[in-house]
Amino acid sequence: MSQLTDEELMQRVSQGELDLMTVLFDRYHVRIFNFFNKMVQNKMVSEDLTQDVFVKILKYRTSYKSGNFASWIFTTARNIFSTYYQKLKKDREKFTESEHLKHTEDVVSESNQEELNHLQKALSYLNHSDRELIIMNRFQEIKYEQIAEITGSNENAVKVKTHRALKKLKDIYFKTVAD
Amino acid sequence: MMDCKIIKDRLVNFIENKVSQEQYVEINKHLETCDSCKSDFIEMKELLGVLSSEPVELPSENLRKNFEQVLYQEKQQSRVVRFAPPFTSNKFLKYAAGFALLLSTFLFGRYQQTQKFDERVSELRSENLSNKQAVMLALMENESASKRIQGVQYIEEFSNPDPEIVKALVKRMLYDENTNVRLTAVNALEAFISSEAVKDGFIKALETEKDPAIQISIIKSLVKIQEKKALKPMQKLLEQDETQSFIKDEIKTVLTNNI
Repeated sequence: MSQLTDEELMQRVSQGELDLMTVLFDRYHVRIFNFFNKMVQNKMVSEDLTQDVFVKILKYRTSYKSGNFASWIFTTARNIFSTYYQKLKKDREKFTESEHLKHTEDVVSESNQEELNHLQKALSYLNHSDRELIIMNRFQEIKYEQIAEITGSNENAVKVKTHRALKKLKDIYFKTVAD
Repeated sequence: MMDCKIIKDRLVNFIENKVSQEQYVEINKHLETCDSCKSDFIEMKELLGVLSSEPVELPSENLRKNFEQVLYQEKQQSRVVRFAPPFTSNKFLKYAAGFALLLSTFLFGRYQQTQKFDERVSELRSENLSNKQAVMLALMENESASKRIQGVQYIEEFSNPDPEIVKALVKRMLYDENTNVRLTAVNALEAFISSEAVKDGFIKALETEKDPAIQISIIKSLVKIQEKKALKPMQKLLEQDETQSFIKDEIKTVLTNNI
């Protein structure tokens, strides 16, 4: 089973071999978890969101139509992130204090590697779409062509946007280091 | 000749060796003479280095456990669908059988003692209820905050909850580490504030709760039932420096007007 491609596996899952979903879970859950963890910087929330991705994929398995599986799962992850983010925004208007921000500070102070702390901080200053591009392109090593498919854009635009985001990150990173 | 803007746009590709030989030579030459581009180059190289050294984090074992549980449930469900009876083309027979079944059930019901039926129905109901109760209690102990909130909200299923459930809800309200869970518990318990256990829970929460949004909810609920025992902890909140000023204002209006 482990020699099958992601697409072959998902094809069979959609035809009712649900157990094969475990192989896809093994291949993707750490990547998806890290994607969320970079976006929200909170491990507990990231676990919940990762769980939601696999629940959704299982639920809508029959709608899978032989496309690139990685693109499909990341598209799902993005949608789940955006739902989470909208809800967080609404909650923030309701509550005076945000749990999310508190956790961010915890994460930063726990790690002792100064550079990574700076990077984490600099990343959090970027807007979502820039941060997402850097996470997908740099941490997840997803190809531009595929990011274009996931974000509904074209390859060249993604390339330009990612480079611009990197430049922005670089400026923030070195500005905060200098401070 | 490339100008600085073009050079800067190509730095990432240059660092990663993704430019043509000609471009490589040209950019290299430019960097030797242009300080601004050179410092950009050095910084970008360092940033890319830090980015690639970022460690991969591992989720806790809960993620896998929860996934396995979801998969199991999904399998159970799809099994039910798969073994559904095949569609028979003889519609008349189907309807006739259905009608006969209906009629016989009706006659059976008529001749049964109603008492016996009622007993069975209430038995089934309580079984269903205790299932729900078990689910709710389990959810409230889950490690994930969103699952615990889900558990707390399950209270809507019960019109007359068991003392054990009320106790578990009070525990969430008092001791849960997550603010949202505690707030949800306060809202859920509000409907049962006439019970002594809940009332005592609210008063205790008023003494321990530090989150202003939750403090306000608790105060409002206690004022609604004009609970005199709440006066003392409210007075205490007034005297504490760390109490938010809008909470103090709320308490002052309450103390002068209501109770």
